[in-house]
Formats: sequence, C-alpha cells, structure tokens
Amino acid sequence: MSRRYDSRTTIFSPEGRLYQVEYALEAISHAGTALGILANDGIVLAAERKVTSKLLEQDTSAEKLYILNDNMITAVAGMTADANILINYARQAAQQYLLTYNSDIPCEQLVRRLCDLKQGYTQHGGLRPFGVSFIYAGWDNQRQFQLYQSNPSGNYGGWKATSVGANNASAQSLLKQDYNEDCNLKQACELAVKVLSKTMDSTKLSAEKIEFATVGRTKQGKVYHHLWAAEEIDALLKEHGLGKQDSEEQK
Amino acid sequence: MDALVAQHSRSQHAAEGYSEDEMQQQMSADLAQPLSLQFALPPTASPSQWLRAMTDDHSNPQCPIKIAHGTTTLAFRHKGGIVVATDSRATAGDWIASQTVKKVIEINSCLLGTMAGGAADCQYWLAYLGMQCRLHELRHKRRISVAAASKILANLVYSYKGMGLSMGTMCAGVTPSEGPALYYIDSDGTRLAGNLFCVGSGQTFAYGVLDAEYHYDMEDAEALELGKRSILAATHRDAFSGGYINLYHVKEDGWVKHGFMDTNPIFWETKLKKGEFSNVTSKMDE
Amino acid sequence: MEVLLGITGKDFTIVAASKATMRGPTVLKSSDDKTRPLSKHTLMAYSGEAGDTVQFAEYVQANIQLYSKRNASELSPYEVSSFVRSELAKSLRSRNPYNVNLLLGGFDPITDKPELYWVDYLASSARVPYAAHGYAQYYCLSTLDKHHHPDISFEQGMKILRMCTDELKRRLPIDFKGVLVKVVTKDGIREEPYEDEKPVYAP
Repeated sequence: MSRRYDSRTTIFSPEGRLYQVEYALEAISHAGTALGILANDGIVLAAERKVTSKLLEQDTSAEKLYILNDNMITAVAGMTADANILINYARQAAQQYLLTYNSDIPCEQLVRRLCDLKQGYTQHGGLRPFGVSFIYAGWDNQRQFQLYQSNPSGNYGGWKATSVGANNASAQSLLKQDYNEDCNLKQACELAVKVLSKTMDSTKLSAEKIEFATVGRTKQGKVYHHLWAAEEIDALLKEHGLGKQDSEEQK
Repeated sequence: MDALVAQHSRSQHAAEGYSEDEMQQQMSADLAQPLSLQFALPPTASPSQWLRAMTDDHSNPQCPIKIAHGTTTLAFRHKGGIVVATDSRATAGDWIASQTVKKVIEINSCLLGTMAGGAADCQYWLAYLGMQCRLHELRHKRRISVAAASKILANLVYSYKGMGLSMGTMCAGVTPSEGPALYYIDSDGTRLAGNLFCVGSGQTFAYGVLDAEYHYDMEDAEALELGKRSILAATHRDAFSGGYINLYHVKEDGWVKHGFMDTNPIFWETKLKKGEFSNVTSKMDE
Repeated sequence: MEVLLGITGKDFTIVAASKATMRGPTVLKSSDDKTRPLSKHTLMAYSGEAGDTVQFAEYVQANIQLYSKRNASELSPYEVSSFVRSELAKSLRSRNPYNVNLLLGGFDPITDKPELYWVDYLASSARVPYAAHGYAQYYCLSTLDKHHHPDISFEQGMKILRMCTDELKRRLPIDFKGVLVKVVTKDGIREEPYEDEKPVYAP
C-alpha cells in the first residue's frame, strides 16, 4: 500500500503520514550523534565523527560543527552535503539581516528561516526533503543563551539539552538523568563527553572521533563561539579520564 | 499540473527561499493590482517632461495639447454638516471651453468629490473612485468611510506621481462612524483631513472671504450663503473661474443640492442690495 | 519651510515638527502632525516632498509593525534606524526615489538610553545628541551647541526647545504655525502640550 504514497513528498498516505519525511528522519538516525547542552554561562555542542581515517586532514574538514553567524553555531546530524546547502542559506540570511538592521539576527528568527525552507521541501512538488537535523546554539539580547533543534519536517523547538543522530534515544535519557539546570559551561562540557562516551560505539574517545564547540560571553559581555582544537579536546578527555592514552596507560 | 509544479519548485539553490525584498514586492504588487490600470504612456524616457513640453501654454502658446484648467472650489465643515461650493468654468489656455461644468461629483448619496485641475483627470479618477466605493459597499455591506475613500484616491494619484496628473480634490461626506468628514487630496499625493479648504486658481480669493467670516457654529443658511459668496468673490477676481455657482450641503443623512446658480444676477444683486463690489461702477458717468 | 527638531537628554528624546502644510502660496493646514510612531519606543518625524513623506512614513511604519507581529519582539531604535536607512537607500537608487528627510527619536529600553538619528533624503544616517532639518539647522544648531548637555533633565530640554522655536519665529521669513512636540521615554511616546500662540519679534 505504502508504495503508492511514499515516492512523493507532497502526498499524504491514507494514515496521514508523509513517508519521505519519515525516511529522512530514518537516515538521520544512522548518522553520528550530536548533542547540545545549555549552561547558565554558555552552551556546549558536541558531535561524533562517524567516518575517520588516518589520512583525513583534521583542520580542513570539520564535518559536524559550523559557524552560522557571530552569535550562533550549529551541529549537524545527517547528510553533510544537504547540510552545506542549508548552512550556506542560513549564513546568507544572517548577513542579509545584518545588512538591513545592523545587528545580529535573533536566534529563533534564523532557526525559523531555515525551517521555513525545510518545510517547503515537504510540500512543494518533486523535491526530496533535506536529510539533516540541526542543533543550534546561540545568544541574543532578547533571550540570552538558546539551544534549538530542528528536523527535516521543518519543525523546531527550544531545549535545555538535546541530541540527534544515532543512539539519540539513549543519549536523551542520559541527559535527562544527569542534566542540572544550574550547571556552568565546564560542567556541561563534562556531561557532554560523558554522554558521548556512553552512546558512541567505540569505548575510547579521541579528538579524531569527536568535535566540540562552545558559545559563551567574554567579561566585556561580547558573544564568542569557539570550535575546539584537537589538543583542547584531548585535554578535556584526559581531565575526565576518557581519553585514549589515559585508559591505555591504566591497563 | 506541470505549471503548478514549476511554480513551486526552484531550479537553483542560490535562489531559494524568500528575501525580505521579494516578499515586500510581492505584497505591494498584490495590493497595487486594482489601482494600476496600465495606461499606455507616450514612448519617451520621461512621460512627465514630454507632457510638460506638449502642454505648457505659458511659454509656448502654440503647444499642441491644451488641458482644461482653472477653477475655484471650496468646502468647509460647520455644526450643521459640510458646505461644498464650486464655480463651473472650464478653460483651455485663454479659451473658455465651458461655463456649465459640474465640478461637484456625486460619488454616492453621502459622498461628494470636487474637481480642480485637469478636468479629464478629475472626471476620470473620481468616476473610478465612485466605482471603488460602490465595490467596497457591495463587498462589506456598508458604505465606505470618507477616510478610506480619500485614501484610495490619494494612493491612486501617488502611484502616478511625476507622470503629469493634475488634480486638487476634496472628498466631503458623512458616515455613521465618522460623522461629517472632509479631506483634501492633490496629485502630489498629499491627503489632509481638515475643517476648511479652498482649491484652484481662485483659491486665494475664496479663502479671503471665507476665512474672515467662518466659524464652526454657523447655522445652515448662513453657511450656505458664505460658501456662495466666497465662490462669487473668486469668480469676480479670477479670470479662470466663473459661470455658475454649484452649491451642496452634506448633512447627517446625505447631501442636499442647493442649486446651480448663474453668477451674474447674484453678483448684481450683491452689489446693488448690499453695496459690495464698490469698485464696479454701474453708471456710465461714474 | 518645514521645521524638524530633535533633542536628547538624560532619559528622554524630544521631537518637534512644524504644524503648517503649505502648497504654493497657501497654508492648507496649520495643525498637521508630521510624525508617525514606528514602534513603542521609536518615533519618526518627516519633511520633504509632498506625498512622498506620508507614503514613506506609513510604508516604514507598516513594515516595522509587521516585524513586531511576526517575531513577537520590538526592534531597538538603532535597528529601526538601520532599517529605515536601508529602505531609503534602496529607494534612492530606484526609478522614483522618496524625497524625504527624517528624524528618528527613540528610547532603548534595554540599554536604558535615549537615541536620536538624523537621516536625510540621500540616506545618510547619523546618531546625534540633537538635530534639525532644513533652515532650522542654520538657526538652531548654534543654540543647541551652546546649551545642550547629554545629561540635561526634561525641563531643561524643553527650555532649550523653547529657545530654538523662539529664534525660528523671530528670524524665519515664513510662518511655520508653531510646532507639535512629542517625547519618547522608557514609558513610550507621548504628546507634550506646547504653548505656541505668543508672537516673537526680531529686535
């Protein structure tokens, strides 16, 4: 029965489902995990890199974390090629807003612009929905630090801590268990690596396997975002006893 | 179906989504639709300059197009409603084209428009305004407000700004929500609400008489007389005003016409009975 | 001869606009309001080409209000001024540009500071402590240079405004029929009663 409906994005099945959207979500659930945690002084985004090779150049191929604007970064789960299109669109939208209003686009507005575009691909004829979910981290002076998540249907929501991609159900329940509303950025980073270490297939974490980024504010009140270098990630892993060398030494 | 798909699918990623501009353009196009009737314009770079070159009879008496101009119209609010009065002369250059023009246009039973400036422009667009007002009435099951009617006209003439329209119009009317209301609209796109306006080449003469004796608490008869006398003053001094005095009164339940009166006997009556216009001599030896 | 004046102080912005509408030799109206509120905390005063002024003001006003409704938040006066400037710049390069000069008076409730922007028809925009447009600039800026301080109280601000309007009445050859005064504070926009009747004579 479903054969008749699932090849078209624009057509509901008799049960009222949009199969193409569900397939896109399915594709994402196989992608590397990405998670975000909101702290009282910042936000951390962390993501698992699925395919790694010794030949891969570390610096030139960030796969999962992207800067959208001065006040906003995003983590991707799903098809990177699709994500690139959306990220390009978001960056352009943010710059256009800056051009018109001379100030950074409020976070939710940028998320909504992206989601409006994604929604279009679940309704207009002959197109495949974008196979990506995003976690967004940003700051604006109306709502301070904000964490959002969006999926291929064009739905989005604000979260305190959330995850997408492979094993996201277990990541989500771990976050629910251990999340503390008053945590600071440092504690949030700790929680992030702990959750990742439990949800990732490999037991040993390393800078090659994960990406890390934070959003915060400087003492002068300026927003900053920071994509972590490999050394910084290794240092964090070491501090929490999750690093490769660490565990090997313990053996 | 294919057309529908083409309309909604986009070929290039670069042109995805909507920019704020596109949205605004789309919206303004939607709104402007009923206004832009797409007139053919002279095939020149600047229609307004072309029009000026063809019609300027001050510097060029041989100009090929002579537009009917020159008028005195007035309207003012008082406690009993709104008095609307006009002359009836249409001139094209030095030539008096008509002495019996109806410069008050009855848009509906409660709304009047006056015309000054290009006679064709006024007649055409006030007729168009009448149509829009009737459509509003059919769509909304109540008469259009004077504010809205005047704004339709103001937006319309503004969309033709710089293309040579020449109009000075007043909309006088009454609705249950606004009471008696008076608006001035001109082809610059200006739209003003007010108590008293005079428009046309004779406006200064009319203002002179009207301002001196106007007060809001006038009785109907007094107000009508003042309107009539003000037009008379303008027809007497302004070469481009004359003919008949067209007098209307807008009251709570609609307008009432108070005649289309030859200025000549009124002038002599005013002079001989009241002793005004003393500069005009009636005897040969004076 | 239209007059636009703006003065900021400690916790307010005063915007004053002349009340006369003139066409040729005639004053058509002497109680005109040449301002439009754009948002709760931003007021725009305009002068320039007849027709263009109101059309542009209402266009901008509608778009700012649309933004507020779409995004459930107000733009700050600075953001409003940037938007207005960009709209004017866009129009300047179109086939029939708007010929409008503007003053944007505002109060930013987040920084708790009054703001005033001077914008001309060529879409220059500048944040200033006090401003004027048209011939009023020639008479009033010297007065404002001398008497204005950033932390003046509202009463002092009104006193300086009075000095300005008195000088304009004294020296401008055409009567502008007094000014309509509006004030923007943290509570929003309000009209300030202003005594305009007294004639002022050149000595």
